[in-house]
Amino acid sequence: MNETSATDIRPLVLVEGLRKSFGSHEVLKGIDLSVQRGEIVAIIGPSGSGKSTLLRCVNQLETHTAGTVTVAGVTIGPDSASHDRELQKLRRNVGMVFQSFNLFPHLNVLRNVSIAQQRVLGRSQAEADERSMQLLTRVGLADKAKQYPARCSGGQQQRIAIARALALDPQIMLFDEPTSALDPELGLEVLAVMRELAEGGMTMIVVTHEMHFAEDVSNRVLIMADGEIIEQGPSREVMQKPQTERARQFLSAVRDR
Amino acid sequence: MLDILGNLVTGVPMTLFLTFGALLVGVILGIPICMARRSHHPVLSNLAAAVIVAIRSIPPLVWLFLIYFGLGSGILRLSPLVAALGGLGLITAVNMAEIYRGSLAAIHAGQWEASQALGLPRWSRLVEIIGPQVARISLPAVATYAIGLLKDTAVASIIGVPELAFKGTYLSQQTFKGLEIFAAVGFLYIAMSLPIAWVSRLVDARIRQRVAQ
Amino acid sequence: MSEILGLWLEWLPRLLGGLWLGCKVAGLSLILGIPLGLVLALTVQAKSTVLRAATLVVVEIGRGTPALVLLQLAYFGLPSAGLTLSAMAASVLALAVCAAAYTSEIIRGGLEAVAAGQKEAADALGMSRLDKLRFIVLPQGLAVALPPLLGFSITILQGTSLCFAITLPELISQAYAIGASTFRYLPALVLASLLYAAICIPASMLVGVLERRLGAHHRA
Repeated sequence: MNETSATDIRPLVLVEGLRKSFGSHEVLKGIDLSVQRGEIVAIIGPSGSGKSTLLRCVNQLETHTAGTVTVAGVTIGPDSASHDRELQKLRRNVGMVFQSFNLFPHLNVLRNVSIAQQRVLGRSQAEADERSMQLLTRVGLADKAKQYPARCSGGQQQRIAIARALALDPQIMLFDEPTSALDPELGLEVLAVMRELAEGGMTMIVVTHEMHFAEDVSNRVLIMADGEIIEQGPSREVMQKPQTERARQFLSAVRDR
Repeated sequence: MLDILGNLVTGVPMTLFLTFGALLVGVILGIPICMARRSHHPVLSNLAAAVIVAIRSIPPLVWLFLIYFGLGSGILRLSPLVAALGGLGLITAVNMAEIYRGSLAAIHAGQWEASQALGLPRWSRLVEIIGPQVARISLPAVATYAIGLLKDTAVASIIGVPELAFKGTYLSQQTFKGLEIFAAVGFLYIAMSLPIAWVSRLVDARIRQRVAQ
Repeated sequence: MSEILGLWLEWLPRLLGGLWLGCKVAGLSLILGIPLGLVLALTVQAKSTVLRAATLVVVEIGRGTPALVLLQLAYFGLPSAGLTLSAMAASVLALAVCAAAYTSEIIRGGLEAVAAGQKEAADALGMSRLDKLRFIVLPQGLAVALPPLLGFSITILQGTSLCFAITLPELISQAYAIGASTFRYLPALVLASLLYAAICIPASMLVGVLERRLGAHHRA
């Protein structure tokens, strides 16, 4: 932890000139983004604007076409000719929560949270299980430890997925529309866990459709459209007094829903 | 009729041994074939595809003949049983590879992504995350295949493996009661396939109950 | 190598003759078996319990018994019931029974794939049961069943190799006989395999194309 002490003023995440194409279609058109330790950044924008792709480039689930991504000192260049080892190093610091939870259906809840601790951090099963139980307690699901994911509600599955990601002690958490697949009331329990994480000082990038979360919990909001960041700034300012016409249109459209 | 049945039943263990032996060969050998078929290396994946098509387009009996009489005439002498296990195992292996491939395609991309995002090493992703799910999805298809294979093992009688159909042929030559004998042989094959179907449904239901989505 | 090519050229007419016989047996079995399969596919859905049960028994016996045993039953078994068939007739009979049982399941699957709304629409228009079947359910259901039926036809062609066991002089019998008289089993059997592959590979590719076409048509 000494190379990344709390007084480190370098950004935890630095994205420079990021471009990404799928075939001839350019999804990200030169994105620059830096995220400081402890910051909570919400990315909003219409579907197809490239916000999920940007998030997935941060932990290299998508390779990018040009530019660089740096997380906690590990830099990855375009079309990652980078070794598996570099990727592993980068991902070690990054936790990710998916829209569709992606829990492992054949493992019980405890194994879901423990397995990567054993394989990636080299913890013993007992150590891993102990840590998993702490985290499951924190998300309010200690009683589900021996259940299989299919027996849990969507909201519970997503909270387990958050515990699974936290179990590797990441420096930053990425959330890819974590409540979009959930009924509103189940989404609320997930948002509550995220809010708690935010209050605990976790660095977070959250792609979301939840305008309240963007406005109330995050420090900074990015609005994306057509592969570009069209507006960004402190949450309240962006949400209440957007500067560009497109941002105004988008915000009024989602608010009318 | 009872003494006919009693006589035929002595061929049942060999039929079951052939079935499960070839299945075991195929279930294991199918894994590398499937991995080759899905490889990003174009030469390897095309080669695997060609092998799969070639093996499937030639009838089982022809494979047994190729191995037993073809190789056996001066290249590699094998016992009928080994030749039959080899031939049926080979055919089973390419079919298993295709079953696995279908199951892999049915696994949600999020499972790969989640295990990557967690930074799980490659072996763990394959063995602990994807492999068990492929096995679970493949199970019903493998069971159906096993029942088909049970019947396909009858061809081994033609190269002289003393299994059920062989006993039937032998007995009918001895007694000239062909109708009863072959009817009894057919009955025994059906009787053997029932428990396989039953066990597979039971196992499938149990897994489904646990991890149903 | 050139020696083997010379042998192959010499053997080819005889093997092609065997292949042609296999094709004839497969064709006849399918011509008899598929209509019977259609009948079984309909009677398995019949209102009468007896008819339904009888159909199920026929289908399960046809599918549960190895084709080789059906062939031996027809050729070695029926004579003891006073019915002696030629190898050709026994082959066609056994493989037709096998084809009927398997194709009945394929056709049933196709008929079940016809959307319930189609049947309701026909009912709502006041069509008779027979007209509904003839003009609405069968055309759509058989279209769905066509690719697997063709796939099964390839299986039946491969299955004619089993007629070796009842002395039908088809492709494998010819190759085996050549091997036995020349002791050149391997080249003879390899040529026979190539002939099977030459028919089965293009045929399965055709089935694949048809499947994709039909899939596209249904999605449209």
